[in-house]
Amino acid sequence: MMASNDVLLKVERLKTYYPIKGGFLRRTIGFVKAVDDVSFEIKSGETLGLVGESGCGKSTTGRTILRLLNPTDGSITFDGKDITFLKGKELRKMRKHFQMVFQDPYASLNPMQMVGDIISEPIRNYTGRSMKEVKEEVFDLLEKVGLPPDAYYQYAHQFSGGQRQRIGIARALALKPKLVVADEPVSALDVSVQSQVLNLLKELQKEFSLTYLFIAHDLSVVKHMSDRIGVMYLGNLVEIADKNSLYAHPFHPYTQALISAIPTPDPHKKKERIVLQGDVPNPINPPKGCPFHTRCPVVKAECKEVKPVLKEVRAGHQVACHLY
Amino acid sequence: MEVVTNKNDAERKIASQSNHSPWALARKKFIRNKLAMVSLSFLMLLSLLSILAPYILNVDIARVDFLNINLPPSSEHWFGTDSNGRDVFARTLYGGRVSLLIGLASTLCVTLIGTIIGAIAGYVGGKIDQFLMRLTDFVLTFPFTVFVVVLNTILIGKVSGVWTLIMVISLLSWGGTARIVRSKILAEKENEYILAAISVGCSPFKVIAKHLLPNVASTIIVQASLLMAVMIVVESSLSFIGFGVPADTPSWGNMLSEARNSDVLQNKPWIWVPPCLAITFTILSINFVGEGLKDAFNPKSNR
Repeated sequence: MMASNDVLLKVERLKTYYPIKGGFLRRTIGFVKAVDDVSFEIKSGETLGLVGESGCGKSTTGRTILRLLNPTDGSITFDGKDITFLKGKELRKMRKHFQMVFQDPYASLNPMQMVGDIISEPIRNYTGRSMKEVKEEVFDLLEKVGLPPDAYYQYAHQFSGGQRQRIGIARALALKPKLVVADEPVSALDVSVQSQVLNLLKELQKEFSLTYLFIAHDLSVVKHMSDRIGVMYLGNLVEIADKNSLYAHPFHPYTQALISAIPTPDPHKKKERIVLQGDVPNPINPPKGCPFHTRCPVVKAECKEVKPVLKEVRAGHQVACHLY
Repeated sequence: MEVVTNKNDAERKIASQSNHSPWALARKKFIRNKLAMVSLSFLMLLSLLSILAPYILNVDIARVDFLNINLPPSSEHWFGTDSNGRDVFARTLYGGRVSLLIGLASTLCVTLIGTIIGAIAGYVGGKIDQFLMRLTDFVLTFPFTVFVVVLNTILIGKVSGVWTLIMVISLLSWGGTARIVRSKILAEKENEYILAAISVGCSPFKVIAKHLLPNVASTIIVQASLLMAVMIVVESSLSFIGFGVPADTPSWGNMLSEARNSDVLQNKPWIWVPPCLAITFTILSINFVGEGLKDAFNPKSNR
């Protein structure tokens, strides 16, 4: 993919905390630090993959960037415009430029809406045209995502998971957005259907010159899709690099462990597997210093005190670790 | 040009096929439910007769006729006459007008108020939710009968009797509906399609009206149908004790109040049995229709 040099999305020190309510009168008694100080950039036309285990804040990051959640702190700059604390009508106007493909193809389509209604709704919201007037555009979109024109008059419950995901993709593309956040778009699908949907996403990227933020927990899927990859752990971005550089030379101990866990198809090839001890700490009360120090195989005294920041170890390869 | 014609062909083909919208599926299931269909037909017949009563009957229901009091059923007076010499058959039909009107109108008002308050509280949440729910609790804790009696007494004479009662009942009964709608909205808004609706630029009003309400409508409709039965009972009991519809307006409750006289209760059943049966069958039918709707909207039931 041809990535130009202009930055489309810039995220700086983003924090999203969920308040925990409890006790008398439901006061806020603490926070789940779902995203804790994440910074990165996405250039126009590229695909940034975001990986990490369940609960590490990938989805929260994606949703906060699209302002479906409110950030606690930090800044989100989209196409030169600060959208961190936009509200109401201003925000609705901006939403046109960034759309989302959701994880669950069953819950992300309104069961009471006709597919034609679902796909044309974004266009109608922004142009005020009627369903009849945008019909041709919807038929074009259906064709682009590989669905028959009949689909227009059908309801979500009449489709399979893969087809529903195509409907979701058509909805996201209806407004010709610049950025599409794909939140685990294939993890709920059959393996046989996964590749079809992934290839569809790639083709559409070429055709509409889209920029993707691709969130997944499957390392091979991310490698297939992305130009650059960010690795998240406990609400923090621990490593971000070009995909080849990341897979060939993972620097962060967590990334090393992740990559060593990718299964290889060759049964005779012996691989050294790094097995991490313990569990992910509770994000309500993350450990002091480096978030990974409780499980790190090469932990140092410094790691328990000082939180490492991202620094460039090679060209275009940043790691947050005290070892480098 | 070629492509466009093909699309139109496809359109025509699909339009002629069966409709798969969730509403159409529920309708089909409901029509297959015999008990509910019989009940619905009964209700429609009864409503039609009541509505058309002034046109099909040539009786002055308000006229007191002391020469013909307490007559047993005959060919001239099908259900006999009451202690004021009025025709019971005519009064039963006219009473249906009032009782069904009160049931329907107060159900509509209650459902409307309850849905609006419940939907806003559930969707917006936070302080607004807290405020609206405390208001709901407040309304729910009112001693209903006492309040109806007092309000009705204050308002009577200022507004026409039947509408006063509808207003009073509605203002005191929306609490339950509001709570149910709120809880359904709370569950429904967690679905990703709500996030999707927000992200494609729907205003909060549109999210509630177009995405949330259609998906909780089945619950609201079932709830409303059962509520209507309750409302008819409320009207009847209030009228029975003399605090409902003004005594000169015939309603099933007013007619029943004649049975407070032990002579009527023991020896002149034709005066109170017709309104009694009308109430019983109406409520039974409404409940069967409600159950039918519940089954029709339930994707797991195949009845």
